[in-house]
Amino acid sequence: MKSTSKSSKTVLDPRTKMLLAVTIASVLIGGGSGGIMNIIRPALVLVPLLLFCISGKWKSAAIYAAAYLCAFAGELFLVPVTTGFMNFMIVACCGMFARFMPGIAMGSYLVNTTTVSEFMAAMERMHLPQKLSIPLSVMFRFFPTVGEEYGAIGDAMRMRGIRFGGGKPGKMLEYRMVPLMVSCVKIGEELSASALTRGLGAPIHRTNICKIGIRPYDLAAMLLCVVSIIFLLIDKFSVI
Amino acid sequence: MKQRIQAKDLINVGIFTAIMFVVCMGVAMLGYIPIFIPLLSVLVPLVGGIPFMLFLTKVKKFGMVTIMSILIGILIGLMGMGVWVIVIAPVSGILADFIFKSGGYASAKKSILGYGVFSIWVIGNFIPIVVTRDNYFDMLISGYGREYAETLMRYIPDWSLIPLLAACFISGLLGAILGRALLKKHFERAGIV
Amino acid sequence: MINLKDIQFFYTGASEASGLKQINLHIKRGETVLLCGESGCGKTTLTRLINGLIPHFYEGTLTGEVMICGKRISDTPLYDLAKTVGSVFQNPRSQFFNVDTTSELAFGCENLGMNEEEVLSRIDRTAEALSLNPLLGRSIFELSGGEKQKIACGSVGTLGPDIIVLDEPTSNLDILGINDLKSIISKWKIQGKTILIAEHRLYFMQGLADRVLYMKNGEIREEYTGVQFYEKPSSFFRERGLRISALAKLGKKKVCPVPEQKVLTVENLEFSYSKAKKLIDIPRVELPEAGIIAIIGHNGAGKTTFVRSLCGLLKKDKSILKYNESTLKARKRLDSCYMVMQDVNHQLFTESVLDEVLLSMKKEDRENAEKILDSLELLAFKDHHPMALSGGQKQRVAVAQALASGRDIIVFDEPTSGLDLRHMEKVAECIRQLRQQGKTVFIVTHDPELILSCCTHILHIKKGRAEGSYLLNEAGKKRMMDFFCL
Repeated sequence: MKSTSKSSKTVLDPRTKMLLAVTIASVLIGGGSGGIMNIIRPALVLVPLLLFCISGKWKSAAIYAAAYLCAFAGELFLVPVTTGFMNFMIVACCGMFARFMPGIAMGSYLVNTTTVSEFMAAMERMHLPQKLSIPLSVMFRFFPTVGEEYGAIGDAMRMRGIRFGGGKPGKMLEYRMVPLMVSCVKIGEELSASALTRGLGAPIHRTNICKIGIRPYDLAAMLLCVVSIIFLLIDKFSVI
Repeated sequence: MKQRIQAKDLINVGIFTAIMFVVCMGVAMLGYIPIFIPLLSVLVPLVGGIPFMLFLTKVKKFGMVTIMSILIGILIGLMGMGVWVIVIAPVSGILADFIFKSGGYASAKKSILGYGVFSIWVIGNFIPIVVTRDNYFDMLISGYGREYAETLMRYIPDWSLIPLLAACFISGLLGAILGRALLKKHFERAGIV
Repeated sequence: MINLKDIQFFYTGASEASGLKQINLHIKRGETVLLCGESGCGKTTLTRLINGLIPHFYEGTLTGEVMICGKRISDTPLYDLAKTVGSVFQNPRSQFFNVDTTSELAFGCENLGMNEEEVLSRIDRTAEALSLNPLLGRSIFELSGGEKQKIACGSVGTLGPDIIVLDEPTSNLDILGINDLKSIISKWKIQGKTILIAEHRLYFMQGLADRVLYMKNGEIREEYTGVQFYEKPSSFFRERGLRISALAKLGKKKVCPVPEQKVLTVENLEFSYSKAKKLIDIPRVELPEAGIIAIIGHNGAGKTTFVRSLCGLLKKDKSILKYNESTLKARKRLDSCYMVMQDVNHQLFTESVLDEVLLSMKKEDRENAEKILDSLELLAFKDHHPMALSGGQKQRVAVAQALASGRDIIVFDEPTSGLDLRHMEKVAECIRQLRQQGKTVFIVTHDPELILSCCTHILHIKKGRAEGSYLLNEAGKKRMMDFFCL
C-alpha cells in the first residue's frame, strides 16, 4: 500500500483504478481475439505500462514490459518449433502470462498508488456499507505488517539454519506459520484497541479529508473500460 | 447469536483476511510454473486452513465468514483473476457461514465441513482458464490448424473442473483438520485463542 | 473527573493474579497521575478501565463502577468515549491505522463524522500545539519510533479529549524520543488535560507527575505526591523493584573495567539501500573479544544494520569479521553469530522449550539440552509451550538456542525495552553468565541502567559511522552518560 499522500503523482481516482483492474482482467482473460478485439487487447495491455510510466515507476514499467514481451515472443517464436508436451507447456505458459500479467500489473498499480485513506474515501463515495469498508481498509493496512513479520521470521530461520525445516521438511510450514500467526494476532489486537479508542465503527457517516474525484483522465479511462466491456459482450453473444 | 457484528469483529475479519490472502498468495506463487496450477486447488485450501481455523475461534456471529469471502472475492478480482471469483467466493462463503452457524460456531465437525465448502472459492480462479480456453485455441486453429489445436485441447478437457472442484473441497477438509491440529498443538497452548 | 469505585476485574481465562482487586481511585480535573509498579502489577489493566477497552474490548468479569465525566463506562460505547478519553499505547508500530501521517491525524475526527473543514483546522491546531508540522504528509515507514509516538499523540490530540491515558509510551523510544514525549506531556499539562500514565521509566516524569501511585498484585499499595516520590532515596526504588528515578543517580553506580586483550575486528562494512545515502559505513573497528559490548546511538543511526551485518543477515554484505584467528565473511557468520531479536516471538517455532533447544543442535542431545536449560533456569519449563512463557523467559529460550548451536557471538537487540528493574537485572545476570562461558556479547540498547549493570565496552554509532569505541571505565562511563543525558 502506498504511504505518502504529498508526493502523490497518481492521476486517477481509486474508483477508476478499480474499474480498470476488473476490466483489464475480464477482457484479457475472458475475451476472444480477432476483429475489434485486435485493437482493444493491445490498448488494455498498454494501460498499466502507461500508468507505471506516468507515476514514475520506471522499474515496474520495465519489468512489466519485459515480461510481456517475453511471453509474446515465446508465443511467436517458440510455439512453431516445438511439439508435444513441450509445446503445450510453452503455449500454456506464454498464454497464461500474456493474459494474466496485465491484470496483475494493474492490481499492483492500484495497491501501490493508493493510500488507505483514499481507499476509504472511495469506498464511502461508492456507498459501500461499513461492514465491508472497515474490514477492507484494515486488510490493506495489514498487508505490509504481515510482510514485515514474515521477513523477520525468515531472518530468524536463516539464523538457525532451518529455512527448509531443519532436516524435517514436513515441519517447514508449521515453523513459518506458528510465529507468523502469533505475532499477527498480537499486532492485530493492538491495532484494534488503538482504532477503537479513536472511534472507529461509530454508527455515523464517516467523513474523509482525502480529495478524490472524477477528472477528465478518469472519464477517458472509464470510457475505455465501457467500450471494452461492450465489445466483450458483443463478442460473447456473437459466438453463441 | 442475536448480537450484531461490531467494529471489533469487523477489524478481526480484516486482519484475518489479510493473513489468509498473503498466505494463499505465497502458495500461489507456484502458479507461475503452469504444471503446478492444478496443484493449487490442493495447496491453497490446505495452507489456508491454518489461519482460517484460528479465525474461526474469534467468530461468534453470523456474517463474519460471509464478509471474509466477499473480501477475498473482491481482492482476487482486483488482482486480475477475472470476475468469476467475485461471484463464487461469496456464495461458498455464505453457505459455509450457515454450516458454521448450525454448529454454533463451536462444533468441530461442522467447522471442518464448513471450511471444505468455503474452500470452493478457489475454483473461481480456474473457471476462466477452462471456460475461455476455446477463445484461446480458436486463435491457435487459425495459426496451426485444427488437428493440432485439438491435440492440445485434450490436455484440458471440459470435465477438468469437476476433479478440481473435488480437490478444493477435499483439501479444504484436510486443511481444516491440519488447522485444528495446529490450533491444539500451538495456539491454544500459547494462549492466543 | 475520573472515579473508580470498588473495582474488581479478572481477564477471562487468565489467572486471578493478573487482575485488579479493590481499586478505589478518584482523579481530579487537570491532575497528572503516574502509575508505577513491577510488571504484571495491574497498571496496564487500570488504564484499560479508563479508556473503556475494559469491558468493551478485553473480556473478563468486572464488578464496581467506573465513572468518567459523569458517564458510566460500561454503558458508554467506545466511539462515544473517543472524544473524552484519548489513548497512547506502548508499541508505535501497531497503533497506526493509516500509512501516512496526515491521514492518521485525521483518523479519529473522520470516524466521528466531523466535516472536512473542521478536521483540517483541528489538524492545523494540533500540529501547531505539539510541533508536528515537520512530520505532516510523511510515510509512517520513514519515521523513527519517537516520531511515530509523536504522531500517535497528535492523532489523539486532534479529538481534543480532556483525559489522556498513556500505557508505557516510552518502552520503544530512544533518548530523543523520550524527550519529545516529555515535552508533549508538559504541553498537555499546561492545557489542563487530565493525564494518567503507566510507566516503568520514571525519571522523565519528574516535575510532571502530581501524584504517583505504586501498585502491586492488582492493588494500589502506596500513594505519594510527585514531590515526595522523587525525593525518595535510591533504596526506596530498589526495594519496590522500580527503575531509577533520575539518570544522574546512575553516576554513582560502579563499573568494573576488565583489561581488554584479544580483539575482534569488523572491516569494510558498508551498506545502503540507494546510492545516495549510506546507512552504515565503517571501514574498520576493533572490539574486545572477551567483552560485553553495548552498541549505543540514536534511532536510525545504523545500530540495527550493524548487528544484522554481524549476524550475516544483510544481503550483498562484503564486510569481514576477524574473530578468534579466523576470517568470517557474511555467509559464514550465519553459523557463528546469533541474535536474540527484539520481538523474540519471531524465533520460537516448536511446541516445547526442550524441542526449541533440540532443534538448534546439530545432533540432538537431550542430556546436554537439559543442562543448557538448567543453566538458564528454564528446566522446570522444558515441556511448556515457548509462546506461553513470559517475555524474559522467551528471551532466555532464544539464548538457549544460541548456546545449543554452539555460537560464539550473541547479539541482543533491545533486550530490556519495557522491563521493570527485577527483569532487567535478570537479563543483565544472564548476559554476564554468557561472558563467563567465553562468549562475546553485543547489546543494542537505549538503557543506561542495563549498560552499567553488565557491559564492559561501548560502541557508539552515529549517522552510520563509528563515533566512538571505548572501554567502560570511569572515564568511559562519563562519556556514555553524556550521551544519555544529552
